[in-house]
Amino acid sequence: MEPGVFGCFGPSPAVPGPSDFKTHADQSCRYAEEFVNIYYDCMDKKRRNLTRLYLDKSTLVWNGNTVSGQDALNEFYETLPSSEFQVYTLDCQPVHEQATQGQTTILVVSCGVVKFEGNKQRFFNQNFLLTAQATPNSEQPVWKIASDCFRFQDWQS
Amino acid sequence: GNMAEGGHYYNEHDDRAGAPYRGRKGQGSHRARSYGEGPRRDRTRGGHQANYTGPGPRSRLDDMDADVTMSDNSQDGTSQRRSKPYSRPYRRGDGRFDRDRRGGRGGGGYKGDGGGGGRGGGGGGGNSRAKQTCGAETLILVFQIPHGRKYDKKWLMTALQNICSVPFNPVNYNVDNYRAHFYVDDVATATALHKCSHKITDADGYKVEVHMNASGPPAFLQSDLKPEDLELLKQCMGKRFDGSQQALDLNTLRTDPELVSQNIDVILNRKTTMEAVIKIIEKEIPELVSLNLSNNRIQKLDDLSNLVGKVPNLKTLNLSNNELKSDRELDKIKGLKLGELWLEKNPLSNSFKDQASYIRSVTPQTDGQDLPPPIVFDVETPTVIPACKGSCFGSDEIKAIILRFLQQYYSIYDSGDRQSLLDAYHDGASLSMMTPYSTQNPSRSSLGEYHKDSRNLKRVKDTTLRYRLLKHTRLNVVAFLNELPKTQHDTASFNVDVNTYTVLTTCLFSSVTVEGKSRDSTMAFSRVFVTVPAGNSGLCIVNDQLFIRMATTEEIRKAFVAPAPTPSSSPVPTLTAPQQEMLSAFSLESVQPQVRHTYWYWWECRKVLSFSL
Repeated sequence: MEPGVFGCFGPSPAVPGPSDFKTHADQSCRYAEEFVNIYYDCMDKKRRNLTRLYLDKSTLVWNGNTVSGQDALNEFYETLPSSEFQVYTLDCQPVHEQATQGQTTILVVSCGVVKFEGNKQRFFNQNFLLTAQATPNSEQPVWKIASDCFRFQDWQS
Repeated sequence: GNMAEGGHYYNEHDDRAGAPYRGRKGQGSHRARSYGEGPRRDRTRGGHQANYTGPGPRSRLDDMDADVTMSDNSQDGTSQRRSKPYSRPYRRGDGRFDRDRRGGRGGGGYKGDGGGGGRGGGGGGGNSRAKQTCGAETLILVFQIPHGRKYDKKWLMTALQNICSVPFNPVNYNVDNYRAHFYVDDVATATALHKCSHKITDADGYKVEVHMNASGPPAFLQSDLKPEDLELLKQCMGKRFDGSQQALDLNTLRTDPELVSQNIDVILNRKTTMEAVIKIIEKEIPELVSLNLSNNRIQKLDDLSNLVGKVPNLKTLNLSNNELKSDRELDKIKGLKLGELWLEKNPLSNSFKDQASYIRSVTPQTDGQDLPPPIVFDVETPTVIPACKGSCFGSDEIKAIILRFLQQYYSIYDSGDRQSLLDAYHDGASLSMMTPYSTQNPSRSSLGEYHKDSRNLKRVKDTTLRYRLLKHTRLNVVAFLNELPKTQHDTASFNVDVNTYTVLTTCLFSSVTVEGKSRDSTMAFSRVFVTVPAGNSGLCIVNDQLFIRMATTEEIRKAFVAPAPTPSSSPVPTLTAPQQEMLSAFSLESVQPQVRHTYWYWWECRKVLSFSL
């Protein structure tokens, strides 16, 4: 699906309160599914737009390489070969409110295979912390990647 | 009358009737124009040579039209003017296209399309032919109005326009023998026009038929440019020429507004057009240094090779974004002795096995002179992925804390009683796990133990079930962990990736775990901990996500490398020397007490301590 504003997806009128864990958990699933679709679609087909999904100061750890900030992320994704991702497994959890000082955050974990152009297909594991950023003019929060960690399953080979 | 002459004409050209017209003079020029230039026409009229005289043929055309149409509309030449850029006098040998026989379609472009189904001279314009496409060129749709010759063009066009849902501009309206022909060049218009068939009744009470054929661009579109067009082309090129750099930029020349507005179709993948451009370059700007021909659908470089020897200063040639398919094309321009050659976004670059052979192939022959090879810009898409590195902790401080934490965590985890892991978890912690979809019978492997708790959102769609599979609060988390099979992890070689966001640290690690003696019991897992600081130097798990899969052969092979330790009743697995070393590296003394963040980390175990049950 195409978010109207990059990073914003899911019609969430309000972030659920701390006592409503189940709602939070249910919604997290929806957000995670939508996010994963958008993220890997961008990665594969609209690579130039990918970094808009990240917070300004977020960090990517990619097979042990640290990439911090929008500029570095832009450069990294530009030089990364074109990709074809397939996600086989996907899970998510809401991150407890106390831990995030009220900022709604969810953990997304994905596994699957990826084929980078010129390289063999490989299994990967990836996790994200997504955080909802309030926007001044809208009830709907914008979701951004706060942290991203990616590793090939067989990174040593 | 016409018929007889037409017959004569046809006899003359019958043998060509079905022949592909490609290559008569290069790029499949056609003679699809039938307008007015019927058999009565003197074919030598101004057409064989390149010295076109505009008014000449046209006036004849006018005459012709005056003969055949009943209105005087065509005499004002407007229709001809509309087709002005396209009307093309004959070249030698290019006779009139056998339109009547074939429904007068423009030769079907490069595919030698034979035109419409064999219509007889009398105008049953049945479109029995399948539409043919024309490769790189646009589809031109030909309309024929049988008996159209008798209609006043203006009347006909008006009548059609009145009932046609789409405004259309008939191109190259002409009449021959019995039919009126014109072109439109977009499918929507054509479809709308087609629907107008049999909707108009003429003065004789007959229904006007509108027949449509698809066609490649007719000859008049592919023809040589008329002198006035050549002049416009020259002016256009002049505007694209930078004298200070001696650089000519013909990128996407076809869409140049000046040319388009004059209906001049400059398609550089056509021999005639390219020839014209080359001639202009030769004549006007032989000191050219840089030439940009990108985005022009160029497939062949035969014509460009005519520049060899004519532009001695040419050093840079940009052929990117074209349709060059074979490296043999480049051979044709070797004589240009270029310094730079841009070739990206051409199909040909795929035909080279490697960059080196590509560069070698375009190095000009220098007759023994040692010239540097041309710089070949072939911007391939990247295929090199960054090198994979090991654990990424972020700092030694973090590394120490995390490794210590993991060592403690797993010593309990592997001990057989995981209850005391409660201390490691936040009150509101969550845990879930997932296993990959496996076609293997899950019960045959230890992995089967985990399938029932797999919370793969790609497979589990039911909201209730999704919620149930998420363990929430530390009591539930640890209770669940206690139900999982006993494990043995190799804490020695953990690969840990740490990332932080505010107070949260995510830690991705993977490990191999053995739960039994058989190969089927060796599994690998990836785990994510999200932690917050706890105490002075502690970690507190807020989220725990576990992905378990079967270990690969390679992982198993590495896993059983370590010699079997002597059985020990100690819950802490016997450590190998490297493991001892690692542990001592972060003994309590070396741990920094000031820890602001807690870190999650993933460890990847490469070796498994085998043990005897």
